[in-house]
Amino acid sequence: MKLKQKKSSTYISGLPWVLPALIFLIIIIYYSIFYTFELSTLDWNGLDPLRKSVGMANFTKMFKDKVFWRCLKNTVVYFAITFVIQNTLGFLFAAILHSQVKLPTVHKCIIFIPYILAPATMAPVFRLMFSPQGMLQSFFDTLHLGITVNWLANPNTALYVLMGIAIWEFTGMSFILYYAAMSQVDREVLEAARIDGAGNLRTLIYMVAPHCKGTTISLAMLGIIGALKTFDIPYLITTGGPNHATEFLGTYIYRQGIRQSHLGYAAALSVTLLVLAVIGALATNYANKGD
Amino acid sequence: MFELRSRKSKILMQLLLLLMTIPYVLPLVQMVLGSLGGRGLYNYKAVWDTGVVPTYFRNSAIIAFGVILLVYFFSMTAGFGFAKLYIRKKEVYFWLILLAMTLPEVILLTPLFVTFQKLHMFNTLFAVILPSAALQIPFATLLVRDFDEGIPSELMEAARIDGANIWQVFTSVILPMTKPIASSIIVLTLVSAWNAYLLPLLFLQDPQLQVVTLLPQYFQGEFTNDQTKILAAAVLTAIPEIIAYLLMQKNFEKGMSAGALK
Repeated sequence: MKLKQKKSSTYISGLPWVLPALIFLIIIIYYSIFYTFELSTLDWNGLDPLRKSVGMANFTKMFKDKVFWRCLKNTVVYFAITFVIQNTLGFLFAAILHSQVKLPTVHKCIIFIPYILAPATMAPVFRLMFSPQGMLQSFFDTLHLGITVNWLANPNTALYVLMGIAIWEFTGMSFILYYAAMSQVDREVLEAARIDGAGNLRTLIYMVAPHCKGTTISLAMLGIIGALKTFDIPYLITTGGPNHATEFLGTYIYRQGIRQSHLGYAAALSVTLLVLAVIGALATNYANKGD
Repeated sequence: MFELRSRKSKILMQLLLLLMTIPYVLPLVQMVLGSLGGRGLYNYKAVWDTGVVPTYFRNSAIIAFGVILLVYFFSMTAGFGFAKLYIRKKEVYFWLILLAMTLPEVILLTPLFVTFQKLHMFNTLFAVILPSAALQIPFATLLVRDFDEGIPSELMEAARIDGANIWQVFTSVILPMTKPIASSIIVLTLVSAWNAYLLPLLFLQDPQLQVVTLLPQYFQGEFTNDQTKILAAAVLTAIPEIIAYLLMQKNFEKGMSAGALK
């Protein structure tokens, strides 16, 4: 018995197995993070041999920057709305496709294909679709509704169009994770609930949804990080405009750092973004443990 | 999940599913319709005749292949170590890897730009492959760890008693069992590498090194706002991705259900 314990694989050190990945990440990711921290205390354009140290000035500038607060507001609104709609849709799709409907694979593929298509590929399509030349306009025209589709150029509607596009893109991910979680639901328990007289909707809300709670929390974590990271969709479709209406931290960092060479200021924004993402990840992880 | 007894309720459910799915097809319809506007299929010929399409595809394929290889190696070894082996202060190492998941690529741009220029790696495919892989490794490691935890340790111990060393256990016991999660990782990594836009945009300036996500921009320059041809290029970029997904769809779904986030 003792011999067997000694031979047990759990006593083999796992460190050599974990270190390759960790070292790789340290070289690329952690190096960049430390570099960004250093940059955030500088006033530097990337070319000048003189790198002027300015302490915390970039951060005080940031807190007074209206566009920075606009980015944060956009991120919060974007997260709240896309999270609710996208996961409700994903959950419903998963429940319906677990209910012996016809052509399940066709529907699964259609829902998931938006996720695999590059935002860069789809950006020209969406710019056309939500412009007066697109098919939405022709649709409204045939109905004689007198609506002009120019929603991406309007600061009041552009952000909502982008949210719709994000929901279109990411429902597939919510769907596939809920679908996986639901295949582990015990059918007999559902059956028993039905014999006791619970209807479809009640079973779904009181039995299936609680079972998927872990998935919902994971999706919340991915959603928070994803919302903070948002770049491709606003950059490619509206470049953050009109008038910063669809500006996110990612697009603003790009604007400040790459376009205008304010490397120090962009780094301060990056540090803030990173801190927010880590707080978001830790908070959702805490919620997960609070079960 | 829904129990549908009557014929009527079955039809209603099917109808609801159809109505919910339609919005997901519309942008694709717009893409195809738009690409056929003006001179129809000739748009595709014009795009193909520029001769750049195969080059862009080749570069994207090389990048995707390199990223998948790195992600597969690092996530399989690390996931196994975390799930099945003894590590002091395991949580610390695990969190160090997971925290990297929160990093947006826009933060990497300046540090890597400066470094790659110093190392003469700027304008090489490595400048895109290495950071893309690094950004994918955390999530992949998380998926593999969760999956490996479900593999019974007795299987490993039996192999150990038969005299296999830990590397042999890994290659002959663990790896064959991880196929479902491996296909999920391959699909997810392929998608993110093929769709990468920002890193190639900045780190690949050589026209010979451009990738598919930069095609729309190239054609915007080439055909000055001829939307139809830009959309034809978009369709050409989308097709291989859709085919690759359809081929792997079954395995991908199996991996997601087996290793699904807990």
